Amino acid sequence: MNKKQHNFLILCLSIIISFLLFYVGTNGFQAFTAESARVYRLLEEKPSFPDVTLEDSMNRVYPFTEFKGKYVFLTFIYTSCTDVCPQLEMNLAEVYQQVPKELLGEEIVFLSISFDPERDDPATLEKYQFFFNSDGETWRMARITDENELTALLDEFGVIVIPDGYGGYSHNSAFYFVGRDGELLEVMDYKKIDEAAVKVVNTLQNDMEG
Amino acid sequence: MKKPLIIGSSILLILLIPPIRVYMESIMIIHMLVQLPLLIIAGWFLGDYMISKIPKVFILSNDNGVPGIILFVAITMFWMLPRTLDEALTFPMYELFKFVSLPISGILLVDSWGKINDLGRIFIYLNYLSMFALMGWLYLDSPIQICNNYLVDQQKVLGWGFIFITAIMVLYVVQYVFTDQSELEET
Repeated sequence: MNKKQHNFLILCLSIIISFLLFYVGTNGFQAFTAESARVYRLLEEKPSFPDVTLEDSMNRVYPFTEFKGKYVFLTFIYTSCTDVCPQLEMNLAEVYQQVPKELLGEEIVFLSISFDPERDDPATLEKYQFFFNSDGETWRMARITDENELTALLDEFGVIVIPDGYGGYSHNSAFYFVGRDGELLEVMDYKKIDEAAVKVVNTLQNDMEG
Repeated sequence: MKKPLIIGSSILLILLIPPIRVYMESIMIIHMLVQLPLLIIAGWFLGDYMISKIPKVFILSNDNGVPGIILFVAITMFWMLPRTLDEALTFPMYELFKFVSLPISGILLVDSWGKINDLGRIFIYLNYLSMFALMGWLYLDSPIQICNNYLVDQQKVLGWGFIFITAIMVLYVVQYVFTDQSELEET
């Protein structure tokens, strides 16, 4: 092989390696941020919801398996949050309103899980509910008191919570759609309300027909 | 000549010390603009040593310097994606890859930089100039938190860091162009 050909081959090789680096590193040019990569991974893995113990705004304590047989549409929040959580919950409220009333509580439960169990006791959660017209039954707000359970859940779902230095937290937000057996079906953009609502209603209707 | 080997490996070893590593990665701007460049510099010194020891390998694999510089650009661009910085903190495999790939890119750079011609060098230089400006703009202008592990405040600081580097690079170009011209006029 002459020198020119040899050099050309190596040049091609270096271009292929560069391409592969980016292709693999961005899941085929889809995920350029860690957040999109996280969602991508969750949808690939479809982890099932760990069996955590919830304590809700009505002081009821029950395991997550209480919702077995129903769909769960959930978000992660903390009530002293001032930026993204109110927005997230407002949007969740809009999805909630778009679901037919007769299905609420029967086929699907809305759930806001607080990751700040110290401040978000049942009384605080009850106050918070009021702002979003959550009834505490078909849309519940709950905390996870067990530190280990909470960490395991956040890890499993890739929710990264970091203190922002002003007494609050910064965290990645999304809608999580969990199926009847506690398996994660979908992670949705919390800013695309209608898209999420349509998806939820369609899933419910298809399921009941089938 | 063992000096480059000692310098290169000591930089690498210092960066690997767990408390130093964790501290550097806890601040976004230090992570991206100090730790990553130092890894490349460590590679540069190691490469310097390797070229003197095993020149044949470099002649065979990177004769005209172009494949090396392409890989260098690819690896450095890869580590400028917002995602990779984030994932290095979350996944040990990414972290390991960072500590391997960046020194390799340094080795490739020292070998290739001496081989490519002036035009190639100017191209690479301007490529990075525009890339840094773009990154600065991205981090400054983003209203949302791009990385899960770093706050928006830190993102802004990094944005200014990139703008600062860009400004220095522009100043360098300006001073280079003007001094060259004045020298030409004198002769």
